[in-house]
Amino acid sequence: MIKIDDFSRPEEYISPFDRHFRKVIRKHLEQTVMPYRRQYDEDWKDHHLIEPAFDKLMVELGLQKSLFPQEYGGWGIAQSDYVFRVGYMLSEELGRADTGMAVALCVTFWPLLVIMIEPFVNERLIKEFAPMFCNTDKAVFAANAMTEPQGGSDIENLGLMGGGTIRTTARLDGDEWVINGHKLWPTNSGGVAKLFGVPCTTNPGSSDPKDFAFIYVPADLPGVTQGGPYEKAGMAADKNSDIWFEDVRVPSWYRAHGPGRDAEAFYQLISFGQMASCAFLTGAMMNLYERLYEFVSTRTYNNRPLKENDAIAGIIGRIAGDIDICRILGHETAMIGDRRNKPYGKPLTSEDVVGRIRNIKDFVSDRAVENFGKAMDVLGAYGADRDWDIEKHWRDIKIIQLWMGGKQLCQMEAARYFFNCETL
Amino acid sequence: MRKNLDELFIFPRQLIDEESGSVISLVRQWAEKEILSKRMEYRENYSRLFGEQRDRLNLTIGLQWLTLPEKNGGFGWNDYANAPGITSVLCEIGRADASIGAILAMEYTILATIAMKHNLNRKLCDRLASHYVSDEVRTPALILPGPGSLGHETPLFHGRSIGVQVTTAKGGYTLSGEGLRPLTAGSIADLFCVVCTGKKGEPCIALVPDDTPGIRRTPPVLATGLNACINADISFDSATIPKENVIDRPGIVEELYTWLNLYLGAVSIGAGANFFEILSDWSETRVIKGGTTLKENPLCASVLAEVAEEIAMAKILLYDLAHLLSIPEEWSGTNASRSFTFSGIIGSRVQAGVLKAINRGMELMGSAGYAKEWHAEKHWRDVKTIQSLLCGVAAEAPVRMDTARFFYNCTEL
Repeated sequence: MIKIDDFSRPEEYISPFDRHFRKVIRKHLEQTVMPYRRQYDEDWKDHHLIEPAFDKLMVELGLQKSLFPQEYGGWGIAQSDYVFRVGYMLSEELGRADTGMAVALCVTFWPLLVIMIEPFVNERLIKEFAPMFCNTDKAVFAANAMTEPQGGSDIENLGLMGGGTIRTTARLDGDEWVINGHKLWPTNSGGVAKLFGVPCTTNPGSSDPKDFAFIYVPADLPGVTQGGPYEKAGMAADKNSDIWFEDVRVPSWYRAHGPGRDAEAFYQLISFGQMASCAFLTGAMMNLYERLYEFVSTRTYNNRPLKENDAIAGIIGRIAGDIDICRILGHETAMIGDRRNKPYGKPLTSEDVVGRIRNIKDFVSDRAVENFGKAMDVLGAYGADRDWDIEKHWRDIKIIQLWMGGKQLCQMEAARYFFNCETL
Repeated sequence: MRKNLDELFIFPRQLIDEESGSVISLVRQWAEKEILSKRMEYRENYSRLFGEQRDRLNLTIGLQWLTLPEKNGGFGWNDYANAPGITSVLCEIGRADASIGAILAMEYTILATIAMKHNLNRKLCDRLASHYVSDEVRTPALILPGPGSLGHETPLFHGRSIGVQVTTAKGGYTLSGEGLRPLTAGSIADLFCVVCTGKKGEPCIALVPDDTPGIRRTPPVLATGLNACINADISFDSATIPKENVIDRPGIVEELYTWLNLYLGAVSIGAGANFFEILSDWSETRVIKGGTTLKENPLCASVLAEVAEEIAMAKILLYDLAHLLSIPEEWSGTNASRSFTFSGIIGSRVQAGVLKAINRGMELMGSAGYAKEWHAEKHWRDVKTIQSLLCGVAAEAPVRMDTARFFYNCTEL
């Protein structure tokens, strides 16, 4: 019998870290998350079950310090030449168990990567934030406070809008930034995150990348207010809420890199998010395969196993084939990230590469949404049943297709790249 | 939104007579006053308000006895010609809450095989009338053939396993079957309509009141949608029922599927229509590229168009099915296997179309489509649940086999 590890991935892409750590993380998740995940939906508000699972994952296993340099108590992953591939492996294993946990953990990495990956390294900020994540016995989260009420996709659409629609402002007052604005939906909001990365503008209405600022805001500062978590269709382990910044003051050096470079580094971040999205989806689909395999092998049509019926085999064969293709594509996004300055001959911060990676994420999202839907239909009256786990993944992964500017922005990026569109 | 739903999603209005029209209008008023205008309150107090609204709909308006003969105290909508009217009623309910619609769809499906003028089973109809024409809300559950279990060969209905056997007992019949999954409401049902087989393996249906000794229910099953229709697996340990509670006329199971496809299709169309309303409001109030209203952006407009197309086509198809069932002679005769086949084809198309519309619309709404606050995601979960019930087992494969059997005279599928 083939196993989930038999789904394709280019062997030469696998990082040294992956070879050893994948087994560790998988075993951990199989013991601490997968047996309990069916109860997570009812735990969406209080996280009575979810919080201890995060403590084990992020503190006992140590994942929350993994990006930081070893001299600050971390593992040095962000400084390695395989940070995207390790991110992929981690996100895939987490996605197999619970995509809500996967996104909560990976989004903690997300704003930190803006100051950790060459050529965008800010040593002073790394040193500043390292103790928050490395010297603690509780899970600590970060968040990327990006979306705004007037239109989420415009902030993501830096290539066209250049940050011109951002309404969250940063004003320099002496040696402090004063932040004002309203953000929606950041993962790890709703009282979870201790640190926010906040995309904002130093000159409202300007599309000049130099006016785009990425500033770190500790969540416990005066003027930071978070709403209660939203109730959603799924993704119970990921809390989202409104955040208001009212005259929040942070040191001037909490800005990631400065005029121009903030926008570039932020653009790099988008690719990391899209790559991780692919990994959440391929991980979830690998679990889909496991659960579907059991159902079609033990349940019957015409008194024969479902999988032995040619028509049904045609459906489940396509599902498995799609998982295989998506996994190859997903690993390709990770490798584009790790080749950094020369992926396909273009820098990672180029619109070309952002467009390509968005394109893959869009494709993988569509395949995942369709395949989970098909798999539920294969299960028939059991498809909507939480005991088979497929419906939970189906609910959870839909948001992956929708986030980060959504499907339409992916299509626009692809069109802009392939057809030289100038006004999209 | 400038136009009303009837102007936008057209269907042949001549199928709806004046009396039906007034009932449909009443149900629409109920939906808008009691649920659509109070979405937030309804969601936050769901378990209480769901019960209250079922009371109002079933007992105050009287939809619980809608399809019973007038002689039995019903509305007398027990003629094939009432199919389009019932379809419209269920659309209106689905627009408000698919769970309420699904439970009524189950009841109307069961009664369609018993109380219709053309195949009236007088004794059973009288018995059911005393059950339904009452001051208590009733909840039936339907147990259809489904996936079998490896190593347990069962009699089949077109490839689907029938898990319940009926044997003759003193004064009636005895039912036995383990771990059966009703379509909905197994945990709260007061009557089970079960597809089963006799000694010769011929399919029949049995009506089993919930107070029959020998019924076991598992704890509630958590599910994607239709959350108010709390489900559970059911077992029958030699549950004995009166003889008249078993109906074994040829084609009875096909009839169940036929009506179920129509009625659950109506519930999903209603849910799709309300999703359309939510999306319309969204697209008029949100902007893209710093200022353009979402609906005025060509790409967004094309997605909006796709949503409307899917719902519009699904509705037209569904009313074609209602018409086919209401006047079968105008659709090439009263052939049960023809109705069964076309209901399967149209039923699966309708569910797929509505779900596609909601999926595409959610893509446009982004995170808001996913948040419970906007109510879009509930329709998405409810319709997906209905689709899985109807198209399963095996992703429409059985429906496709039914279709191939009809069109190509396949004999071994």
